[in-house]
Amino acid sequence: MSKEELYNRLSEAVVGGKPDITKNGAEEALSLKFNAVETINEGLVKGMSIVGERYAAHEVYLPQVLMSAQAMYSGLNILLPAIPKSEMLDQKKCAVAVVEGDVHDIGKNIVKTMMTASGYHVFDLGKDVPITVIVDTAESENLDVVAMSTLMTPTMDAMKDAIDGLIESGYRSKVVVTIGGPPTSPSFAEEIGADHRDENAQNCVTWLKGAL
Amino acid sequence: MSEAMTHIERGMAALSNEPVDRLLVSPLSMGVQRRLIGSGVTYREWAHDPKLFAQSFVEGYKTYGPDMAVGLMDLSVMAGDLGAHVRMDLENTPFVDEHIIHNPEDYEKLEVPDIRSGRSAVLLEGTKGFAQALKDDIICAGFVEGPLLALSQSAGAERLFMDMYTNPSAVHGALEVMTDYDAQMCEGFGKTGVAGLVWDYLWGNYSCLGDAEYHEFEVKYANKLNKLTLDNGMAVCVHNCADMPHLKTQVKDYKTSIYSMAWYPLNPDSPSATKVIEEGYADKCVMAGNIDPQLFIRGSVEKITKVASDLTKEVKTALCKRGLNSTFCISSGCEVPPDLTTKLENIRAVVDTVKKEGNLAC
Repeated sequence: MSKEELYNRLSEAVVGGKPDITKNGAEEALSLKFNAVETINEGLVKGMSIVGERYAAHEVYLPQVLMSAQAMYSGLNILLPAIPKSEMLDQKKCAVAVVEGDVHDIGKNIVKTMMTASGYHVFDLGKDVPITVIVDTAESENLDVVAMSTLMTPTMDAMKDAIDGLIESGYRSKVVVTIGGPPTSPSFAEEIGADHRDENAQNCVTWLKGAL
Repeated sequence: MSEAMTHIERGMAALSNEPVDRLLVSPLSMGVQRRLIGSGVTYREWAHDPKLFAQSFVEGYKTYGPDMAVGLMDLSVMAGDLGAHVRMDLENTPFVDEHIIHNPEDYEKLEVPDIRSGRSAVLLEGTKGFAQALKDDIICAGFVEGPLLALSQSAGAERLFMDMYTNPSAVHGALEVMTDYDAQMCEGFGKTGVAGLVWDYLWGNYSCLGDAEYHEFEVKYANKLNKLTLDNGMAVCVHNCADMPHLKTQVKDYKTSIYSMAWYPLNPDSPSATKVIEEGYADKCVMAGNIDPQLFIRGSVEKITKVASDLTKEVKTALCKRGLNSTFCISSGCEVPPDLTTKLENIRAVVDTVKKEGNLAC
């Protein structure tokens, strides 16, 4: 099989939400000695980008995006360990987290997917994440981006607490902080000292390209 | 503030698009009103005690004088009574932190709980409490999660959305159970004395589901429940605080009497009050919204007064342009945050602004 054929198969499998095909395709790529980074970018990421564009255009909806994300991760799980560390030195690092007190993580997971598809090394800190974990991860992993979300009003202040924690640690100037979630707004982002707030994951990734 | 019409007269007139002395006004203040009881009660107490739940709405009416009372508790009532673990902080909105659906087989294990116990009973009894106290003064409505929302609270939205694709029959089986649960709740609300029942059909939202998915996984169940609502003597009302609601389905097809919605100005596809009126959604339904709930925490009285005033002007202009008399209720786009930091004076500011400026003389 040619590279082009395999990459197209991977891309189409991501678009179609077929995790078995992406897993098998990724294994085949490695067995054929294809470059893992190229396979990710030309196959999996290309497919996820198509899905992201279709989602933004309201041509597909969350169930399809989630199925595609599952397919992408199924391939990534095979390909990422095969990338030599020397090729990952320039990779931007991002942490995504639902802040302390909240467990609604579907938005965070969409952001994680789009960030991963854009080439970031994403640290998924999960939900109900203590401030200290966000701050400590930023420092220990030399993060470029911290992305926080919450669905609920009472937990919005945890975003400010996390930013204050980054300031106290001296790391704030080294990291871009972006927030999201229905109760947040650009004015709230400004109020708490975040750099950005976005309506959707795809737009946020686009904004980050300019910010970093 | 002396007015020409009573709340009930105004509400009934608006439901028929008859002329009114002023626009309806009713911020969605629920849990926050617990702070009006004596020296205040905790959220946890309020969400477990039907007397406190009822009393908060009575105090809210006495304090602010809105046209309606809507009995939302929170969105974890049904999932909690189905067995999901609900995190119940002292002063935070309760939420599910441990789902009960972990694999496709778990959908088949769902059973309708006994609505005479648990927080379902608290909600029904509490709703009866405020409805009996207020039904002669203002329009009272119960509030309940629709079947798809209740299932997503039990399974987790992400799992549910993927299972729609991979295990649709299991999801439909669970939705049948949720619909039976909702049907029992609906019949229970029918005995409380409320005039309407608000269904939270949140997932009818183009950010999440397209028409095909929404129709397959909620509309047929909602149609059954909407009919049951009418059969039990209540008006069908819908709340959807998502950014891009399925308005045609949820307003026109459901033949909704009152539709409560939010507005996300940063999203160009999120419909404003003017747009929903222009597009005919207020022709046969009282549309309600859409003040940003965050303003009740972060806005000053001056700021929220201006927002309420601007929205009132916008709605009056749009209604007049459409030849309508009264079919919009100035409200918050979603629940007024029940936080301790919410500024209660901002609720009063919104109500008083509409009372002062809501006269509709086209």
